[in-house]
Amino acid sequence: MIRRVLAPVLRNERLAAPGHHVLTFSAPELAATAQPGQFIVVAADTGAQLLRRPFSVFNADPATGEASILFSLHGPTSRAMAQYALGDTLDLIGPLGGRSYTPDPRPGARHILVGGGYGVPPLAFFARKLIAADRDAHVVLVDGARTRELLVGTEGLDEIGVILRPCTDDGTCGFHGRVTGVLEEMLNEDVPTTVYTCGPAAMMRAVAQMAMERNVPCQVTMEVFMPCGMGICMGCAVGKPDGTYVRGCVEGPVFEAREISWSA
Amino acid sequence: MIEPNLSVKIGSLTMRTPVTTGSGTFGFGSETADLVDLTKLGAITVKATTTKPRIGNPPVRMVETPAGLLNAIGLQNGGVDNYLEEKVAFLRRYDVPVIVNVPGENPDDFAYVVRRISEAGAADAFELNISCPNVAHGLDFATDPKSAAEVVTACRRATELPLIAKLSPNVTDMRPIAKAAEEAGADALSMINTVIGTSIDARTRRFRLANRTGGLSGPAIKPIALFHVWRCAQTVNIPIIGMGGIMNATDAVEFLLAGASAVAVGTVNFINPNAAVEISEGIAAYLAENGFTDVRDIVGTVSE
Repeated sequence: MIRRVLAPVLRNERLAAPGHHVLTFSAPELAATAQPGQFIVVAADTGAQLLRRPFSVFNADPATGEASILFSLHGPTSRAMAQYALGDTLDLIGPLGGRSYTPDPRPGARHILVGGGYGVPPLAFFARKLIAADRDAHVVLVDGARTRELLVGTEGLDEIGVILRPCTDDGTCGFHGRVTGVLEEMLNEDVPTTVYTCGPAAMMRAVAQMAMERNVPCQVTMEVFMPCGMGICMGCAVGKPDGTYVRGCVEGPVFEAREISWSA
Repeated sequence: MIEPNLSVKIGSLTMRTPVTTGSGTFGFGSETADLVDLTKLGAITVKATTTKPRIGNPPVRMVETPAGLLNAIGLQNGGVDNYLEEKVAFLRRYDVPVIVNVPGENPDDFAYVVRRISEAGAADAFELNISCPNVAHGLDFATDPKSAAEVVTACRRATELPLIAKLSPNVTDMRPIAKAAEEAGADALSMINTVIGTSIDARTRRFRLANRTGGLSGPAIKPIALFHVWRCAQTVNIPIIGMGGIMNATDAVEFLLAGASAVAVGTVNFINPNAAVEISEGIAAYLAENGFTDVRDIVGTVSE
């Protein structure tokens, strides 16, 4: 059920990466139902922005009723959110998104999650869900950033059994280069695999193309500008190969790579 | 305290509150039904429905601007068959009038959609969208009194249901077009449609919208809308549904004072889909606080 919630803010953690925060709030219904890839839309009373802004769910714990988002300072809404503390309320609508990540059901399947920057939070949530459903699940998170301190959202994942493969453009952490460098090597191994990706458009295009060329299933989160997030404005059009458009928010945001037109 | 009367009549259509939804800002009702008690709306005005399905414009389709939203959706919709087969059943589960917004490329298109939906009993009124700024021919009808009248006349022959002509502010003077629509048999007017505009990205030196131009909505256009409603209300004798940047009950009251008999809320639905219900409650509170027992008593009462 989609709800508008004035959620009590519980914690606002400043991450080591400059301008990055994890905001944790109480929203039991959301925490119980949100799936990886789904998002919330937030209104902050900034006076400077009209529309809500979408944020992927970073964590949702049905047991505690807590959920969180990971965000960086971007505009008036995120700057206002950066000031939130215990006692404040987060005005949100959610959970939104008609399709979330679907785990590869094949026994022994390898799940390769490829993220960059803003794309990591929903993948981190998915990684935790995969391990929670099967503690022996083979989950690899390949995350890319310009430099070491901008690798965010993966804290604690290695402890639960997620294999982390960081990549940095400047070589300050992990693989020196793009995520596709690590992905290509892994896709050459003969293991049943599904790729799940979220991040900058150019990165997702490269990842999706690499997977499709090898006939590896690939699920992508289309992070197009979503004016409403609820399927009513028709503003978040995502092009399909047949030339028609679907709404990124309710027909997505997670799509099979082959469902999307990658031209342009 | 006596609950003030909020019901208004738009032609033969009775709305139990004076607040409806702006077409294209509320889908077909089902999308946000988790968040809104649809029976508390004066009417649901649904997304535009055309003779055939329309793909819509390529992205980028929407851009936020200061206090506004610029859109160029391009009337993406499933067409009249899709409306009748897939959309109307949901809407008819609720005790709330349905107003179908109808665009077209010529008077016959409008009349065809109006007749099909009317014969199926799948609407309670029609809003003739003669003023969409984002498709070829959309604006043409609402910039010329004769063309506007031709569309209304064709639809008048196609249905007994109330016809609401949606007019464009992208003209020098809306009054001759309003008058022409009235004389051709329109039961009411919707005004204003969006204000045509564009947005340019200085960094990339490109238009922000793929369509280059779009229609501006939101608080930025409210003064323009109030002006046109006020001026047209003195020219026509049919009710006006006022719209353009209404965000709260105070905004809605301003439109009523300017001469609108009812209002539509649009862009605010993207932020709060329950806005129309909350605005109805706010109008009731305003009336009670100011000693009015009937919403109709404040219509057009603005003074110097």
